[in-house]
Amino acid sequence: MKIIMVVDDNEDLGRIVKRILDKEGYETIIALNGDECFNKLKEVKPDLILLDIMMPGTPVVELTQKIQDIKIAYLSAVKISQSDKENMMQQKNIIDFISKPFEREELIAKIKELVGD
Amino acid sequence: MTKISIFYNLFEKPTTLLIIPSQDYNQIISEIPRQLSNKKICYITLNKTYNALKETFNEHPEINTENIVIIDAITKSIGKVENKEDCYFITSPQALTELSIVISEFLNYEIDYVILDSLTTLLIYQKAEEPVIKFLSNIVHKIKTSGAKGIFYVINIKDHKLLIEESSMIMDNILNLEEEKIEWS
Repeated sequence: MKIIMVVDDNEDLGRIVKRILDKEGYETIIALNGDECFNKLKEVKPDLILLDIMMPGTPVVELTQKIQDIKIAYLSAVKISQSDKENMMQQKNIIDFISKPFEREELIAKIKELVGD
Repeated sequence: MTKISIFYNLFEKPTTLLIIPSQDYNQIISEIPRQLSNKKICYITLNKTYNALKETFNEHPEINTENIVIIDAITKSIGKVENKEDCYFITSPQALTELSIVISEFLNYEIDYVILDSLTTLLIYQKAEEPVIKFLSNIVHKIKTSGAKGIFYVINIKDHKLLIEESSMIMDNILNLEEEKIEWS
């Protein structure tokens, strides 16, 4: 079973994403911030981290520098340009950028594309 | 209220809290700099990168981007930054002290308007209203002392009741576009 970690300070969003992905047969772990993410990574290595770009606490650029061996897809309501995206995805394990708000089907299709069934 | 009287209230009062319906937000962020194209603007972006904001402005030839300097609180928190002549990149939207200092420095350069986009985003990072209100009070004082004017965007009002109540004691003007029903086209 593929493991997805959702790192987002919005608890409701985390719960919704977990419900969607659990139904699709993924194991979903929720972390509410960068510190919680690091703590959970000591115990489990997910196949993909869905990382909210706008969270209180440690800036995401510091988080991603410390996570080099797990695929990361950003979740974001921040408006960024194409050149910003290219800049952010220079780190080889940062593989995608999912804009909020997203639809259930869109999320499932994206996760399947990124990690498989 | 007509579009003209809305802009009169918005541009003539020293400081305004502008409550924007979410569906009008994209229209507003280009309309206001367009209306102020002959003024020097310090635009503080907390939810768009410098590049994304410039792309938005460049879609509107009436916006005079040469008169706009930007304080970007996003780009540095998500990736590498290239120095720009018209932008100062602060560490993150949480860095209110840094933001306050940079605004003070910009106000030394004959800025006519400071636009803060948006208080809604500040609340996402700060979680509580109190630090945002304290920051706001400080910034409003600096703007007024300098002789500039300030426009502070906030969206999604039902989540920000306390902020709006507290702001009404700090600001000279509260303009709720939700109640104005403006035709933007």
